[in-house]
Amino acid sequence: MSWIPFKIGQPKKQIVSKTVERDFEREYDKLQKLEDQTKKLHKDMKKSTEADLAMSKAAVKISADLLSNPLCEQDQAFLETMTALDTSMKRMDAFNQEKVSQIQKTVIDPLKKYGGVFPSLNMAVKRREQALQDYKRLQSKVEKYEEKEKTGPAMVKLHQAREELRPVREDFEAKNKQLLDEMPKFYHSRIDYFQPSFEALIRAQVVYFTEMYKVFSELTDQIDQAGLTDEQRERETEAKLSELRALSIVADD
Amino acid sequence: MCVCVFNAAASLQQISASLGTEHNRTRREGRSRFTAAESGILHKCLFLTVISNMEVPRRPHPTSLTLALPKPASSALSPLGAVEKVAKKEPMTDKLQEKKDGTTEKDQFEEETFHTEEESVVSSELKDTNTSTVETKLSSQDSFSDDSSMSEERFAEDSKEAKRKSEEEEAAAKERTAQRQLMAIEELVQSERNYLHLLQMSTVTIRSNLQKLQPPPANLDSMFLYIEDVIDVSSRLLSLLDQKQVQPGDPHFLETLCDSFLSLSSDIEEAYREYLANYNNVTVVENSYKQKEALWNDIVRVIKTSAPEVNATSLSFFLVMPVQRIARYPLLLQTIQKHTEKTHPAYGLLEQTAHTSIALNCRINEYKRFREVADKYKKTETLTIKDKINRLNSHSIAKKTARLSQHIKHETGIATKLVDEEFDALEGFFYVLEHGILELLENVEMYLHHLQGFLACKTEEFDLDMDGEKAPICYKEITTALRQWILPTFEKRMRTLIHKPLCALRDLLVGPRNLIRKRLDKLLDYELICEKSSLSYEEQDVANTYRTMNTLLLNELPQFNGLALQMIWSMLGTFSCLHKDLASDMEQLFQSFAQQLPHSSLDPSAFWGWAESAVLEGARRIETLCRSVEDTLNAPVVQPLSPSSQRRLKQLTDKHGSGKIYQVMGTVVGSRDLDLNLAKGELVAIISEADSRGDKRRWLVDAGGRRGYVPSSKLLRYHQPTEDPPPSPHLTLPVGGAGIRRHSYTPEGRPLTVMSQPCFQVFAAYDFTARGNHEVSVRTGEPVRVLEPHDKRGNPEWSLVEARGGQRGYVPSNYLAIMPVGTGPAGTHQPY
Repeated sequence: MSWIPFKIGQPKKQIVSKTVERDFEREYDKLQKLEDQTKKLHKDMKKSTEADLAMSKAAVKISADLLSNPLCEQDQAFLETMTALDTSMKRMDAFNQEKVSQIQKTVIDPLKKYGGVFPSLNMAVKRREQALQDYKRLQSKVEKYEEKEKTGPAMVKLHQAREELRPVREDFEAKNKQLLDEMPKFYHSRIDYFQPSFEALIRAQVVYFTEMYKVFSELTDQIDQAGLTDEQRERETEAKLSELRALSIVADD
Repeated sequence: MCVCVFNAAASLQQISASLGTEHNRTRREGRSRFTAAESGILHKCLFLTVISNMEVPRRPHPTSLTLALPKPASSALSPLGAVEKVAKKEPMTDKLQEKKDGTTEKDQFEEETFHTEEESVVSSELKDTNTSTVETKLSSQDSFSDDSSMSEERFAEDSKEAKRKSEEEEAAAKERTAQRQLMAIEELVQSERNYLHLLQMSTVTIRSNLQKLQPPPANLDSMFLYIEDVIDVSSRLLSLLDQKQVQPGDPHFLETLCDSFLSLSSDIEEAYREYLANYNNVTVVENSYKQKEALWNDIVRVIKTSAPEVNATSLSFFLVMPVQRIARYPLLLQTIQKHTEKTHPAYGLLEQTAHTSIALNCRINEYKRFREVADKYKKTETLTIKDKINRLNSHSIAKKTARLSQHIKHETGIATKLVDEEFDALEGFFYVLEHGILELLENVEMYLHHLQGFLACKTEEFDLDMDGEKAPICYKEITTALRQWILPTFEKRMRTLIHKPLCALRDLLVGPRNLIRKRLDKLLDYELICEKSSLSYEEQDVANTYRTMNTLLLNELPQFNGLALQMIWSMLGTFSCLHKDLASDMEQLFQSFAQQLPHSSLDPSAFWGWAESAVLEGARRIETLCRSVEDTLNAPVVQPLSPSSQRRLKQLTDKHGSGKIYQVMGTVVGSRDLDLNLAKGELVAIISEADSRGDKRRWLVDAGGRRGYVPSSKLLRYHQPTEDPPPSPHLTLPVGGAGIRRHSYTPEGRPLTVMSQPCFQVFAAYDFTARGNHEVSVRTGEPVRVLEPHDKRGNPEWSLVEARGGQRGYVPSNYLAIMPVGTGPAGTHQPY
């Protein structure tokens, strides 16, 4: 037992059995972990959807800026390519927004709600702890009087202490029992609760990527030379770059 | 232009003279010594080779002479043999000649101008073209051979003696020329070998030895940048000569030589062009070595030990050789030409070769000039303000103000701007392109930034301990694959295929941009002087610079623009392709997992309907749970109420309804007007959940008669216990420490009716001796009746009691104790 200075009212009698205390600790531990994970998942989900949206917006900006560039006015073919690109990007963005709103509705909001339960649970645990402290203090007082000589005033005090103890003990026991009962139930509820979220998360992306694949297959057929490997592409760009570098007007260093 | 230059450069003397003046002029202009020397290096070489250069390594003349001397007979014979051959071929060529007659001269020029085409033919069918070229050459020589044959007839008509004599003389002269020709040829070949040998030595032995130096000299590689190409082309020239396996004495040798030179001329130009353009750099690097004495000594030592046979004292001894060599070709070829009879079968070819070599030099020179102008202006100068101030002088200020005034004239419309529509279009396109590239790069960077943000979210790490469930497991696997494999690959491809080339492209924009800006400056200068009728050298130089820049930009900007646009185009194609690949990877991945999910069979609308309702249902359940937790677990400890509190509870409930009852959670000490002082545990009823100013933190409460404000944070809703509390003891007196837990103590004097209840009895816990009239003495264990639990002033520390025998008086409240009737000690103290 750790030595705690100035700690008053430690009863000698074990008022809460070790197993109960251990059970309680374990359940509460699990809940705390769950709380932590829920918070982090919520945060990361939010961040990742934000990044996802921003990414798609950036892609739209790429094409929009090119489309508004005067280059398009000078070159009809370029204009056509850019229009195609822009249309595709906008379609992708629309699909992405739909995906994100679905995720928001089915994943992020529920996560937030679930996270909202923890503060009241924590408060309940705190209350139980308070009740336990009260209980312990009163218990130790009762024990003190019990040890004393059974004189009149001592008896009076013992009686008073006992009377005081009883409601506190009942309060604590009720709280303890309820928490021991509720915590596992709540912990278990996460499975049914989040099952649809995860499924929706996957489903939303399946839809999104299927559409995206369609959009970009079309676009690629339209504007890209088909079937080049990355090495070929790299070589081609490198060839063009060295052609550019070979020009006298280009400062090469 | 080429042809022009070529015509102008018909004779070496002319060239060197003109170049010389230019060179001298350049000097006169007082440019920095260094640039003058470098820009003039090519021209200088032309001189220097004429006027024997000190730097040129001594040629091993003796060997070449000893080789040439032993066989004068064969060499003397050979031209004759060649003439015979020509005679045999003549009938055939005559026919050709008739057709071509008028055009040959032109043809020849064209051949030289487009020697590239010729070269390709030559290299593929060397032998055939050899003869064909010879034929064409011969046809052009026809007039000369006619002349000579006519003169021979005339000689024949003269006396035989004279003929013999003249023949002898002619033969002797021929032999002499032949010998000189042979020597000239030998010199060309031999010096080429020698030159190649020295170059190789410098690049292989000296370079590797220099690299062994500790520390190795910086920028060593840049000194040997293009020399490999030069070596390559030179060795190819020699190997072409060797392949033919003809000796220098052979009349065909000259043909072979010329053919080889012509066939390689474009390669030679290519190789030397780059080398010469880069030569400035070589000297800069070498000068930087010379600055460090220790290093320079090391380098000289290395050179001396590596090449003991030549008396070389610097690296540029070797590295300047290509510069000299390219200028020597025309000289050597012209020397051979001088000593070759016009009847020689290879004469025409030789002439052409000589011309080619001159044209080649001119083009290289031109290229070098362009490059110099471009190099001078295309770099962005990074000067500190101090440097800029130091640079200011009257000349530069005059120049700048002149430009500014000219510019203002343009803007105000006083002077019309010299308009070059072609250039303006190119410039406009370039700027638009530049803008597009920069914007694209910025957007791509933004995109990549967000992608990284996305990658930084490790959502797969939090599975909420849902190990056994299908959906979370699937999600976890998907996300892991996504974050560790698919998206990083996508990002990498994006970076290498789009971002990197774009950055490179952006860097390449600098050169043209600077040149365009500088061109405007030069245009302003040019406009100022172009009104004048006669120009000084300096002004001519300005005009030339402008023209060069303009031509350069006109030539190269279209290429630049076109290539850059193509690059953007292909990059966008790549961008689309990358997205396609990404989507296809993702789709496959998600699809394979999605099929394992319990609700995969539902069609989309049904699925989303289900998902949303499930989520709502979950939310509802959570809410219920939450409320139950709050309601039941957060309830305060239900302390049994004292009778007075119970009375107050009843009174308040009757008046305000049970929903308004709150309990005070801690002692409240009022600090403002109308605040109440309340003890912990007191019950109050809420009248209004805000004060008169609408402050939600202060609530107006009814504390059983008194009304006032209480901080809302101290109040908690009072839940009436479902079952009746156990019969409460009449804790009417605060006793010991337990008083803190009393919730219902109120100091207001309320009649203690509870004393009539029989089951409790108040005892004196200690002896107390009265000290005055108002007090009463009690003994330990003496039962007393509490009349008032406080004194007259409401101080609860004193209680008015009736002791045994009806005596009334005050005793300290803490001397009293209550006890149920009939329990142990109390019984003993109840004799009455």
